[in-house]
Amino acid sequence: MAQVAYAGASRVYPGAHSVRAVDGLDLCIGDGEFLVLVGPSGSGKSTALRMAAGLEDVDEGSISIGDRDVTHLPPKDRDIAMVFQSYALYPHMSVRENMAFSLKLRGMAKSEVNAKVEEAAELLDLTKYLDRKPKALSGGQRQRVAMGRAIVREPSVFLMDEPLSNLDAKLRVETRANIAALQRRLGTTTIYVTHDQVEAMTMGDRVAVLRDGVLQQCASPRELYDTPRNVFVAGFIGSPAMNQLTLPVDGDGVKLGELKVQLPVRVEPGEVTVGIRPESLSLVGEAEDGFDLRVELVEELGADAYVHGTLAGRADKVVVRADGRTPPRLGEAVRVALRDTGEVHVFDPESGLRIGAE
Amino acid sequence: MITLVEAPQSSEPPATRTRTRERSAAWKRRAPLLPALLFTIAVTQVPFLVTVFYSFQSWNMVRPGSQHFVGFDNYVDVFTDSVFLQALGNTVTLTVVCVFVAMLLGLGLALLLDRKFLGRGIVRTLLITPFLILPAAGALLWKTTMFDPSYGLLNWAFGIEVEWLSDYPLAAVMAQIVWQWTPFMMLLILAGLQAQSREVLEAAQVDGAGRWRTFVSITLPQLSRYLQLAVLLGAIYIVNSFDAIYLMTQGGPGTASTNLPYYIYQRAFEGFDVGQSSAMGVVVVAMTLIVATFALRLMFRAFDVSRGVK
Ligand SMILES: Nc1ncnc2c1ncn2[C@@H]1O[C@H](COP(=O)(O)OP(=O)(O)OP(=O)(O)O)[C@@H](O)[C@H]1O
Ligand SMILES: [Mg+2]
Repeated sequence: MAQVAYAGASRVYPGAHSVRAVDGLDLCIGDGEFLVLVGPSGSGKSTALRMAAGLEDVDEGSISIGDRDVTHLPPKDRDIAMVFQSYALYPHMSVRENMAFSLKLRGMAKSEVNAKVEEAAELLDLTKYLDRKPKALSGGQRQRVAMGRAIVREPSVFLMDEPLSNLDAKLRVETRANIAALQRRLGTTTIYVTHDQVEAMTMGDRVAVLRDGVLQQCASPRELYDTPRNVFVAGFIGSPAMNQLTLPVDGDGVKLGELKVQLPVRVEPGEVTVGIRPESLSLVGEAEDGFDLRVELVEELGADAYVHGTLAGRADKVVVRADGRTPPRLGEAVRVALRDTGEVHVFDPESGLRIGAE
Repeated sequence: MITLVEAPQSSEPPATRTRTRERSAAWKRRAPLLPALLFTIAVTQVPFLVTVFYSFQSWNMVRPGSQHFVGFDNYVDVFTDSVFLQALGNTVTLTVVCVFVAMLLGLGLALLLDRKFLGRGIVRTLLITPFLILPAAGALLWKTTMFDPSYGLLNWAFGIEVEWLSDYPLAAVMAQIVWQWTPFMMLLILAGLQAQSREVLEAAQVDGAGRWRTFVSITLPQLSRYLQLAVLLGAIYIVNSFDAIYLMTQGGPGTASTNLPYYIYQRAFEGFDVGQSSAMGVVVVAMTLIVATFALRLMFRAFDVSRGVK
């Protein structure tokens, strides 16, 4: 078991326009922690993970695992195990051989190798398939073999790069829970890359959000949701995304249509960006306090419905969560109220940073 | 493998009618291929049958009117002819050594080409050129510029005076053939190397395998299909080598570098012994068929192993 620490680690791809795929990453993952790296496509998640694995050079800064500086060590000397997006099983080897490969390389006795492989197979419900080749397995089974190959080694760190992205939705939910449970049980430090924010929110002890190679925020899922540090994190975490409106300051609040919204923090006169999650808004009767919205699209998800519309008299789009049983109709004008002014997020429109943070 | 398509089996008249209609439709579809098929039969199968016929005749073109039926005499002669047996031995040596060496060299070059370096495209093109040069031109090039005793590059480079073509005739011919066929092997193997998944190699690295270990345990097994294909195709072509021997050594000195195609050529067009050379031709075809079927079967089995479990 070990902690992993990135200290100003960067990966710069050389070229005419050099790409800073990971830019000065400072991140410390505690012993036994499950850290999820999220970000949009191309944000450098895979690169950051591969740097820890030793598959990608570290051009600036350093990385340490446990109390060893591993910046320039080859992958095999880092005591890590990696689960690849494509699973990367050895196609010509049976499931058993796939899992035993690393143990054999270490020169472990045959009986011991077998015992370990069988134990892992048991844990992952793979015993039946031990003598099959990867090609004869379903996607979910292959995924489990990839996990098995990682856990038999009992490494000090697991690195996983979108291990669930090739599974169908149902299996993904199931496997998600299994991986999280397995990690708790083994207590192995884990870095998990995903672009799926549901995975990020449900699996991670902490979630690190990357954008263009730069770390935006690293915090617990709750904290990320409640106090996003900037507009990017605010928009990225939560589905559907947070409504973000840039409005002129009016005294100690802003005006949302006819609704005067008291801001929870003190702001300078000028403009601010306010962020309101769809679930902080609700549809109310005509007579109540609120603002008017013209309905343009209704997404019915069963329990809930998401009402997309434009603010009367403005071009801004707003999404509101409504009761799934009584959704409004298209083109209708509805009245929307704010649940609690404390749920309004305020950002600086220029820097995008949260105002009144800390 | 599973066969899903089954011929419709029914004895009812309507079904029979549809079947005849289907069959005529099938023939209509095949019709455009027929000229090619007829041509192939005319230029390969007919001459072969004629050769079989000649192989039972005693016929030397130098003595007109000598043609008569002799049964298996020609075949008996062929197998007691020490030159034929030597040529057979030479052919086997030539084929096995050339295929093996060309494959090893091809593998080495492919491994080197499989990494990024400046000017890789140019190097690759240069390495392929021997394969693009006409075999006859290549043979002459080796005979004169490389092996010539007085102005050949080899003697000049090593500062020695060796009569390569008369002292080591078979080795000299093999050098030329290896030179010619290495690029072919290299290309095939390079295709195999580049078809490998990068993540699988990385997984091996993370699992603790060094370079050599990764090569032996991961790359080679995945390459085996390509290697088999290279061996089979290489062997088919190299068994038939003629240009290099004809142009470089004329099978000599004596019969030291004579292989079967060249010996058959000598018997037919220098000895004018139609009967004997036909018998040899038939024997060679039979042996090649046996070896090729054996090799093909082996190869298809290997293909099936990796495909059957999909
Ligand atoms: N070999 C390379 N040369 C130059 N740029 C590269 C190279 N490999 C990756 N990049 C760039 O680095 C950035 C980060 O890539 P990375 O694969 O880490 O993204 P990611 O966050 O994993 O995306 P995804 O979710 O799509 O997998 C991308 O902008 C990509 O274009
Ligand atoms: Mg990625």
